Amino acid sequence: MRLHEFEAVNIFEAMGIPVPRRGVAGTVEEVLLVAGEIGYPVMLKSQVLVGGRGLAGGIKAAYHQEELEEIAEALLGGEVKGSTVRNLLVTEKADISKELYVGITLDGYSGKPIIVASTEGGVSIEDTVRTAPEKIASLRVDPLFGFYPYQARTLLRKLAPGQRLLTAWADVISRLYHIFSQYEALIVEINPLAVLPNGGLLAVDAVMEVDNAALSRVKYPLPDWMERIENSLERKGREIGVTYVNLDGDIGIISSGAGLGMASMDIIGEKMRPANFLETGGGITEDLLYKCMELVMMKVDLRAIFINIYGGINPIHEGAKGIARYIREHSLKIPIVAKALGNHQEETWEILRSVGVHVVTEAATERAVEQLFELVGGDK
Amino acid sequence: MGILIDDSTRVIVQGITGRIGSIQTRWMLAYGTKVVGGVTPGKGGSIIEGVPVFDSVEEAVKETGANASVFFVPAVFVLDAFLETVDAGVELIVVVPEHIPIHDVIKMRAYAIQKGVFALGPTTPGILVPGKGKMGIMPASLFAPGRVGIISRSGTLSYEFAGILSENRVGQSTVVGMGADHVILTNLDDILRLFEEDKGTDGVIIVGEVGGEQEEKAARFIQERMTKPVAAYIAGRYSPQGKQMGHAGAIVRGSAGTVAGKQEALREAGVEVLESPIHVTRWAQKYNLK
Repeated sequence: MRLHEFEAVNIFEAMGIPVPRRGVAGTVEEVLLVAGEIGYPVMLKSQVLVGGRGLAGGIKAAYHQEELEEIAEALLGGEVKGSTVRNLLVTEKADISKELYVGITLDGYSGKPIIVASTEGGVSIEDTVRTAPEKIASLRVDPLFGFYPYQARTLLRKLAPGQRLLTAWADVISRLYHIFSQYEALIVEINPLAVLPNGGLLAVDAVMEVDNAALSRVKYPLPDWMERIENSLERKGREIGVTYVNLDGDIGIISSGAGLGMASMDIIGEKMRPANFLETGGGITEDLLYKCMELVMMKVDLRAIFINIYGGINPIHEGAKGIARYIREHSLKIPIVAKALGNHQEETWEILRSVGVHVVTEAATERAVEQLFELVGGDK
Repeated sequence: MGILIDDSTRVIVQGITGRIGSIQTRWMLAYGTKVVGGVTPGKGGSIIEGVPVFDSVEEAVKETGANASVFFVPAVFVLDAFLETVDAGVELIVVVPEHIPIHDVIKMRAYAIQKGVFALGPTTPGILVPGKGKMGIMPASLFAPGRVGIISRSGTLSYEFAGILSENRVGQSTVVGMGADHVILTNLDDILRLFEEDKGTDGVIIVGEVGGEQEEKAARFIQERMTKPVAAYIAGRYSPQGKQMGHAGAIVRGSAGTVAGKQEALREAGVEVLESPIHVTRWAQKYNLK
């Protein structure tokens, strides 16, 4: 779960990282109020959960009230990279003499946290990797040994920032690592970490994403993940315990695995347009697949449903009962093609055929999609 | 032949008393796997599917001579059980459960490497050696003995590829689920190494998906070290930016982890990239794989 900047910056502040004076505002009046308290000039930052807000025009400076109203009016309720702006973070506009970068992520290949620091802040770290790799220092943390502050100092010495800056910067890294591990984060990042004219540091941005698998055991308060999901169908999917991703086509998809669901999408997408991605994971029951049918059918103008399920960990014959019950109760008329193989496959086929589902018993998803195409044709 | 499971493999099932653990034990036994015991703390002394249950891995190993373990343990207890299993001297661990916190997984991975234990997962369907045995949840009916190795990030797609091959009379030496999380216990290139060394394997299929850089790193290994033919399919061409596609590791972030990027890296390494699973038969025929 990605946190909003205003949420992450509160966490950073609580852990002792210096952050700007600020306030969150959802209306122009609130923006004015916060700016009045902070004093001009201020920064107005759209609170959306996507990167690259600045380049997309979601971050602006305002030097006086008139300008502030104009910008706030334009940003609030507008869209930044497809996400609606509901709140603005209003912050002091710091006088910045230099911009640094610090970020901690999990390196998938080595399986270790990696701390990255750079004297080149305010730009994408991927760009710096290409343009000025000598301005980047990184360190992988051994998960069994853990992180100690001396490692941050060792890391920063490679960038030779000078004694005073090194000490302050290393302190920020230590605190950031503490957040990373306490919140079980996937990423924490400050870009830029500003150096002020008096030599002090200020985190003028805050990026943080926490591991969904650990949400229930993090000891600090976190926002409700469910409320965070903007699309109502995707939220409904989460509620019933499946992964639903909304797409803009008209062929519904239900699959019993993530890879199989993506492959189904890919193959269908060659000639038709998927309405959604839905994967059940390993928890299929009669009730769950009934609810999956309900969810997929919530999309209007669906032309067909494509079901692709394997009985490995899943009792697909139980799932088939749920699908059949939905079809019967709703006298469903659109074509349904189902490929079902694995444990209890014969029983599954029989149940699905009894309610008019076109059952495919070959392994290749391509064959099942061919049958689907014969039934519904290409795009309308 | 094949990799990881042979006649000397003696398996314990952790979480054997659970609903999934007990059903899967029955199916593993039915497939001929030597399941010699189970472990659920507090349930020692009982019998499940004719198999003795122990309170600890240490006892199970001592009493049964087990050298491999498959996990059906609730996600939040996996770290503890995993460290216990490594300490008990088990050499091969298969972690089936999904949704294990990644800060646990990095500890598991580091400890397994330190102690020289071969571990797979999390979020893996396990390992299946056709006709010999299986550790995990793969549905046996789709597999046939032969000389093609499969490594898959996705469970269901490993069944799909094995199923297509079996229908076309191409058998498998071993099918391995590498795990679908952002951090996995053994990386793809290390599994490829086993297939390269296996006398029973003539060619390998990699079934990847969007997200991470396992396939890209494997491409480097293939270029430098593999002599056997390799084919690859990468799922998720139409996955929207930033959306997690079911698996914890299946997410495109910016330009990283895209299908196109992975395909390009693999192609450059001499891998035959399959645009659709069904093309796997043609590849197998080209190299006369059986």
